[in-house]
Amino acid sequence: MSQALIELTDLGFAWPGQAPLLDIPALRLEPGESLFLKGPSGSGKTTLLGLLGGVQKPDRGHIRLLGQDLGELKLAARDRFRVDHTGYIFQQFNLLPFLSVRENVELPCRFSPIRARRASERHGSIDQAAATLLAHLGLNDPALLARRADSLSIGQQQRVAAARALIGQPELVIADEPTSALDADTREAFIRLLFTECRDAGASLLFVSHDQSLAPLFDRQLSLLELNRAARPASDLEA
Amino acid sequence: MYLLRLALASLANRRFTAFLTAFAIALSVCLLLAVERVRTEARASFASTISGTDLIVGARSGSVNLLLYSVFRIGNATNNIRWDSYEHYANDKRVKWAIPISLGDSHRGYRVMGTTTSYFEHYQYGRRQNLQLAQGRAFASDPFEVVLGAEVAEALHYKLGDPLVLAHGVAAVSLVKHDDKPFTVVGVLQRTGTPVDRTLHISLAGMEAIHIDWHNGIPARGAGKVSAEQARHMDLKPAAITAVMLGLNNKIATFSLQREINEYRNEPLLAILPGVALQELWSLMGTAEQALFVVSLFVVLTGLIGMLTAILTSLNERRREMAILRSVGARPWHIAGLLVLEALALAVAGILAGLGLLYLGIALAQGYVQANYGLFLPLAWPSAQEWNLLAIILGAALLMGSVPAWRAYRQSLADGLSIHL
Repeated sequence: MSQALIELTDLGFAWPGQAPLLDIPALRLEPGESLFLKGPSGSGKTTLLGLLGGVQKPDRGHIRLLGQDLGELKLAARDRFRVDHTGYIFQQFNLLPFLSVRENVELPCRFSPIRARRASERHGSIDQAAATLLAHLGLNDPALLARRADSLSIGQQQRVAAARALIGQPELVIADEPTSALDADTREAFIRLLFTECRDAGASLLFVSHDQSLAPLFDRQLSLLELNRAARPASDLEA
Repeated sequence: MYLLRLALASLANRRFTAFLTAFAIALSVCLLLAVERVRTEARASFASTISGTDLIVGARSGSVNLLLYSVFRIGNATNNIRWDSYEHYANDKRVKWAIPISLGDSHRGYRVMGTTTSYFEHYQYGRRQNLQLAQGRAFASDPFEVVLGAEVAEALHYKLGDPLVLAHGVAAVSLVKHDDKPFTVVGVLQRTGTPVDRTLHISLAGMEAIHIDWHNGIPARGAGKVSAEQARHMDLKPAAITAVMLGLNNKIATFSLQREINEYRNEPLLAILPGVALQELWSLMGTAEQALFVVSLFVVLTGLIGMLTAILTSLNERRREMAILRSVGARPWHIAGLLVLEALALAVAGILAGLGLLYLGIALAQGYVQANYGLFLPLAWPSAQEWNLLAIILGAALLMGSVPAWRAYRQSLADGLSIHL
């Protein structure tokens, strides 16, 4: 078997003084694969993403990203590793409102020399990389690049966030409910754009959402509730 | 330096608060520098009230007292010195020049000083500047001529040729006037910013003439009276004077001559070094100036605490900003650095604006302050001392900035990438 992009083994985590939140025996994500992870609130979704980003350390078990055990890295090294290899898209308000669209997209290149290098190698320059990605995502008006990020519509902002996650070709894109603020029509269009761009960049996509209707679009789907032995049954949550 | 760009952009996004914060710092910096500059200049101008004079000699009393009445025209001499004592030292071969002065009368609240023309020749103030006549001439052979200080002429609207009557004693409202012997204005001095401006200068002969028919402090009556015309023909050599200012040929002799005068056998005398006595006097008045300085330091501290408050309150609403930065690769120390830079940017903006306000203020008030208080505020680059103060302010701002920086550091470690707030 080839090297997995993400490989979780026997992962356990609890916040200090609280009951165990995560207990995941195994989870794999292959290079180039798109995975839909269904996770209602309370299922430990945010914590799992924090662990994958190396912000928290697991109490037990291993998280391997590109073969690197995150637990073996120091905090600063985990931070660097995260930005070098992972792009993030969040639910909404992903952008720094006071920066221009272009600057928002280029942010990861400011903190990761690897992504800055890859972006300029592929597109000639970081600026060019940002413009190309935005154009692919349907934002091809040059005047728009110079506008303040918060002057865009929510749908446009999410596409800017996608461009930011993809710039410099990280191996992994983690999307945390990126479509929840979008209406049904734009939602599917956004995901298709995301697929295309991830495929172009050769990135795996880990998509976390509670919206089951999107699941069929993905290579594979998993439910965090089933995966996580520490999760409470859904019926409890609704009560 | 991308962090600085981020810090500035984030500040610009909160420009109203940022502006107010920087403005508060600017005002406090301006106040501090203004106090510092006025203080320095006041001390310098005080120290340059008299220059070039090596020794001041008077009757034995305190050195500050002697300085006060001889130079500042404040208070009174306890005793006079005899004319022959004056002559003894004026003719000493170590002495280059001697200015006898005689005080005790006044004119509408301004002191009258009897002296000789050597006063106009040798008396110096500031950076070794001699007195200059703005109009007219120095008093000459006629005893009833007066040369006015600039402020006297201006405040009392005297011009050349005007007659004026001196009053006996120095009380603000004097009951006894020398109205039988009026004086004529023959000259007006240029403004010096020193007590000279508030003095009326007459010759020693004039001083003697107005008191010639006085006995035991009361004017003569009836037949004993001496008219001005009669006085002109009398011997007007004074018997005593109030003090003497001495300039020496060789500065090295100053201390030995001072000791000699202090030990003079024929009369109890006191010789002082004006510079030393000025220092002594300033140290008496220095407390008020120190207090002002301390108050303005606290105002700066208040400005900086205002900045600290503004940054701290912004922290909570900026957790999302921090989380976004973390997700694009900013490490916790980046976040901390961002806040330190923010504090630094506010402080630098405040300091620059404060300097701007200071120079604007000086440019506007320079003329007025010089005319009214005799203080020249230079429109010069900050002095070494002022640079030090600015550096201390910047250092304090840095220290203050590290408080929110530390909090944001902890916060961004705890929040991580989660921005679900």
